[in-house]
Amino acid sequence: MEEFQPVIVAFCCHYCAYTAADMAGSKRLHYPANVKIIRVPCTGKVSALHMMEALRKGADGVYVAGCLEGDCHFRTGNTRATKRVAYVKKLLDEIGIGGERVEMYAMSAGMGEVFARTASEFTEKIRRLGPNPARVGRDNPGCATAACS
Amino acid sequence: MQKRSEFSNKVLIVGGGMGGIRAALDLAEAGRDVVLVDKSYSIGGLMTSLDRTFPTNNCDLCTLSPRLSESGRQLHIELLTMTEVEEVSGDAGNFKANLSSRPRYIDLQKCTACGECHRQFPGCVRFTPGLDHRAPTCMRYPQATPYAFSIDIDACSDVDELVKVCPAGAIIPDDKPRSHEVDAGAIILALGAEITDPGVLDTYGYGVYPNVVTSLEYERILSATGPTGGQLVRPSDGQKPRKVAWIQCAGSRGLRPGFQPYCSSACCMYALKEAMVTRERFLEDIETTIFYMDMRTYGKDYELYLQRAKNQYGVRFVRSRPHSIDPVFKDAVMTGGLDIGYMPYSSNLPAAEEFDMVVLSTGFRVSDETRSLAEKLGVELNDCGYAKTGSFEPVATSKPGIYACGLFEAPKDIPETLVQAGAAACCASADLSPLRVVQEKSENFPPEKDISGEPARVGVFVCDCENNIGGVIDVKSMAAGLKELKDVVVSETIGHGCSRDSLERIQEVIRKENLNRVVIGACSPRTHEAVFQDTLRKAGLNRYMLEIVNLRDQDTWVHTDNPAFAASKAKELMHMGVGAVRMTHPLADHTLPMNKDVLVVGGGVTGMKAALSLADGGFKVFLLERSNRLGGTAGKVRRTLDGQDVQAYLKTMVEKTESHENIQVLKQAVVVDHTGMAGMFKTGVQVGARMVYRQITHGITILATGALVNRPDEMLLGAHDAVMTQLDMDALLEDNPEGAKALRNVVMVQCVGSRVPENPNCSRICCQTAVKNALRLKELNPDATIVILYRDMRTPGMQELYYTKAREKGVVFVPYELEDKPGVVADGKKLSVTFTDPVLGRKVQVSCDCLVLSTGFVADEESTEDLGVIFRLPRTSDGYFLEDHVKLRPVDLPTPGFFVAGAAHSPKNIRDSIAQAQAVASRAQTFLAGDSINMGAAVARVDSNRCAACLICVRACPFGVPFVNAEGHSEIDPAKCHGCGTCASECPAEAIQLMQYEDDLIFAKLDGLFERTA
Amino acid sequence: MITAERKPIEDLINSVSSYRRILLLGCNECVTVCSAGGRKEVALLSSALQMHFMKEGHPFEIKEITLERQCDPEYVEELVPYIDQADAVLSMACGCGVQEVARRFKEKMVLPAVNTKFMGASERQGVWAERCAGCGDCVLGSTGGVCPIARCSKQLLNGPCGGSGKGKCEVDSDIDCAWQLIWDRLKALGMTEKYEENIPAKDWRTGRGAGPRKIVREDLAS
Repeated sequence: MEEFQPVIVAFCCHYCAYTAADMAGSKRLHYPANVKIIRVPCTGKVSALHMMEALRKGADGVYVAGCLEGDCHFRTGNTRATKRVAYVKKLLDEIGIGGERVEMYAMSAGMGEVFARTASEFTEKIRRLGPNPARVGRDNPGCATAACS
Repeated sequence: MQKRSEFSNKVLIVGGGMGGIRAALDLAEAGRDVVLVDKSYSIGGLMTSLDRTFPTNNCDLCTLSPRLSESGRQLHIELLTMTEVEEVSGDAGNFKANLSSRPRYIDLQKCTACGECHRQFPGCVRFTPGLDHRAPTCMRYPQATPYAFSIDIDACSDVDELVKVCPAGAIIPDDKPRSHEVDAGAIILALGAEITDPGVLDTYGYGVYPNVVTSLEYERILSATGPTGGQLVRPSDGQKPRKVAWIQCAGSRGLRPGFQPYCSSACCMYALKEAMVTRERFLEDIETTIFYMDMRTYGKDYELYLQRAKNQYGVRFVRSRPHSIDPVFKDAVMTGGLDIGYMPYSSNLPAAEEFDMVVLSTGFRVSDETRSLAEKLGVELNDCGYAKTGSFEPVATSKPGIYACGLFEAPKDIPETLVQAGAAACCASADLSPLRVVQEKSENFPPEKDISGEPARVGVFVCDCENNIGGVIDVKSMAAGLKELKDVVVSETIGHGCSRDSLERIQEVIRKENLNRVVIGACSPRTHEAVFQDTLRKAGLNRYMLEIVNLRDQDTWVHTDNPAFAASKAKELMHMGVGAVRMTHPLADHTLPMNKDVLVVGGGVTGMKAALSLADGGFKVFLLERSNRLGGTAGKVRRTLDGQDVQAYLKTMVEKTESHENIQVLKQAVVVDHTGMAGMFKTGVQVGARMVYRQITHGITILATGALVNRPDEMLLGAHDAVMTQLDMDALLEDNPEGAKALRNVVMVQCVGSRVPENPNCSRICCQTAVKNALRLKELNPDATIVILYRDMRTPGMQELYYTKAREKGVVFVPYELEDKPGVVADGKKLSVTFTDPVLGRKVQVSCDCLVLSTGFVADEESTEDLGVIFRLPRTSDGYFLEDHVKLRPVDLPTPGFFVAGAAHSPKNIRDSIAQAQAVASRAQTFLAGDSINMGAAVARVDSNRCAACLICVRACPFGVPFVNAEGHSEIDPAKCHGCGTCASECPAEAIQLMQYEDDLIFAKLDGLFERTA
Repeated sequence: MITAERKPIEDLINSVSSYRRILLLGCNECVTVCSAGGRKEVALLSSALQMHFMKEGHPFEIKEITLERQCDPEYVEELVPYIDQADAVLSMACGCGVQEVARRFKEKMVLPAVNTKFMGASERQGVWAERCAGCGDCVLGSTGGVCPIARCSKQLLNGPCGGSGKGKCEVDSDIDCAWQLIWDRLKALGMTEKYEENIPAKDWRTGRGAGPRKIVREDLAS
């Protein structure tokens, strides 16, 4: 059977994580192609709904990557995002999708290695978790996840 | 006043470190032309090798630098790297400089920094992201860094092969040295300094024992991008150290060979930073000890930093300068351990302690190169090799028209360097022709086409970026496939997308196909957004109808190992881009007309200096003074440390200010209300004894409200005639020298009312003042006994020389602890002072006929609180105004258009106040130069129909911008919005959207991604 | 304001699982302000429920509408065009809103999505605290502006009780003793003599004691 290729959405802040992703590129560090980055000015912009909708629309995992603690260009965006991620985790547990499908990471602009490592580790984790059960259910309507996948 | 040049608009800046860059940006943003010269092949100076910077312990450059690239004013900066100054002739206003550039062997216009040459010929290509990791991220605007490689042609064995590997054809094997001639009205020397060589301190064994490292080496070890990948390991055996020691003043504050006689000023703080970062990352495992003579944490809030290191991080402090470092042996083999031998301050017995690693806090010294350049330019240096400047002209060198800033002027830290850079820019600007209204060096754009009601017509352009993108994925077939997407009218490849030809091609297609939205698959929007936005604008489209898809940095560069994945990801990213671009709508940059008048609050030396600097530049200034006379605290000071007459200086300055045609002085003036935003402020003041109300309209506000001279009820001050403050002593020495001469026993106590829980910070001026007055007393009466009781003597930079002189003259310095303050009792007309002598280890009692208390400053809390409320500005916990960024924007307040200078920022002496006054004048000119201010388009917008006035945005905004207006809904002033989007994501009514990042645009990206995979 | 808190998702899933088409209603008034049932919470709950039922393979449709105020009939009237397309209504408004919708659409199942909690004030971002019990006979004038009925665990009119310690309530050390607060306020007002005055037993008929209440303003009533 072909290896499961999860789709992962990464909300990255312009000032740190997105720049770190560019750094990873300029250093030619490999990380899985599964990760698709959406640029935001600050992780403070990423609402719980953005994360939920990414999963509902079909992502297998979502992560938010912002600046290191205390480094936020906008002072507190990353700490607010951290709290929202925790909230979404709980919500996902409650609806049976699993909170481990969302995560918050912090890195500075110069940390290309950290970006690449984070992308790889998260992808691996989601691969182990398997496909987003909501997506499986949607694509196989009319039957319960466990039986059909 | 220096006569201005009538025609020159250009400044030559030598040195591309932090100081040079700051001065260049200030001048460029004010419409001045700058030639920035650096001998290295990329700019950034010393700071780029630091891991993190105090006191925020952040990678501050990363936090700030994105702002540097926004202005687009770099069009005024010509950067010449690998370039040196050969000769300068002429005078202020009319210099001619001959420069020579070494060959780079790379065409900067063509190099895309793809790295192909470096991969294939690592030995002969200079680009070291490992050691200089911020180069591509932080100094990335194309005219800066520069974002390009350089070739070491001598190291290259096969030049022809090297030329072939470059896909951009950027290598020029026969590149020649070039000489340039530059005409400049003024010159700024930001030459920096070098690090002292610890190898010459023979008893420390640097270079002999591998585990003795310098602080800069230690920074590299800590750095995530350093040689150890951020692992803290000691060089000898790659083991993690358990005990690390710092030795301060390794090369500074010494008279022995190898030592500089002055204090290097920055080392105490960086040692604290290194120790704290070490503890933070490896808390449980690593003990950190700092050996010091005096902890010199005299800057703004630095004392709190020291307390944090002590109390929160458990850094240990030992007051002693170690005499030697010896290796530890076990079975006749060196273990890598190091014994530090020292004499504890409070004991007569020598001590030794073993550490796994020792960091030498090396200081600064002037390089021979700098000395010879100064000589060539006719700039006088002091005995230590730093530029000679005066107390009242802190950045002016001995040669008119040439200014010094940063380490070249004296040892200092980054904020002070940046302040001086601003001051130098201000002075240089004053030598140039009057500031003209900035003619933006940009093309005239055609009028914007109205596309309202039009269906989306999307054009897709895919760049192959030579082989960077096209070499990994098949861009042609991808572009063809994208034609199938909804609303896509044309989809094609464009070769090297950012080349002039390609940009013209995009414009042509936009016009021909009547496109109204564009997606470009290329490199990072971080670097190229502005270029492509301009292209749209030139074709008559709104610049925000654009989506850039990062195919290079985030796809093809990453997935070279799996082209099939790279191709499918590229396609998905493009789908996301097309989905998003369909949701874009025209946005307007927020621009405001600029009112060019300036309000300066505070009529002390700082306020007057700022007012005069701007008034001389042709700007109208309103100078508010609370009392009925100008002069502020300086009115109470007679002499500076170097003996200058403060009152004479002040008198001239007051006369100049009061008679200046561009300055309106309003005395007995109190600010009562304030509205508006940068460029259009309105401030209400009540003036004069009758408190007449008037409203002032202005574009810039400068706060120079000073601080209060402290006079605490301590040690019989005010209760006994023989007890006085240092200011009283200063006046006594000047006004009644006979009376001062008669004093035979004088005791001075430092830190009275400073560095105590009620006023936790260091007042900064007291140590130098005590030394100054002690020297003057000694001059009058060499036989006088003077004892100075201190906690840490804080005489940074060249002030150290006066401290040394005082000790030579026989002034006795005895340290005391906060827990064991000196006791004072009256003894008739005399006083009896009791203190603990740390060497004897017991109480000593002395009798004196005069007790001088160094009482320093306290914040003028009442004023800063009132003004803080009226202007909505933040303050520190002890009541000083809080600047936007302690490290990199020391005189900018967080609200655009507000600046702070002088003692309202933190305690400082006249010299530093003047430098800050000039720096704010320079920063203000960057605003005043334009006729309008561009606030960008990424601002939050409230839909008033949805708003429930719940106040969540008001509470969530990190900058306090939203408020509930008179109509009862939230309002966000686009001029104040920083564009983070926090309010938008917290609004429970979904009433707020952040422009450029609207929710529907983000959801469209997700739809674009999943449409296919579904 | 009236405060509310979303019910546990599990309860909501159970309550709607027998329906296929749900009309999810938000309210732009109190529940928006306390972040329980405004447009954002509606979207979030919608997303969560859809995802859950997708996972279950259960066909499920949600229509989201947020009314200006669910407790006013004119606003509820705006639902007329949509109500027939839904098998049930899930309302994120407070109990008043839920009842108003149920009253208007008699044949439609209307389910509450939030638990209505109390009348309170926002202490800071994200924290709301009970302030008023709606007793119908306000005593704040005698108690220094601190309500002993809403804020004393025992609703004592002449407190504190023996369970007050270090300014906190024995029920939970996070609860301030209301009578400590009253004392502090009276002291600040210089009216400590008020504290000595006995507050007579309250006539609870103005509260819930005499059954459901109504306010009629004759000058306004039509």
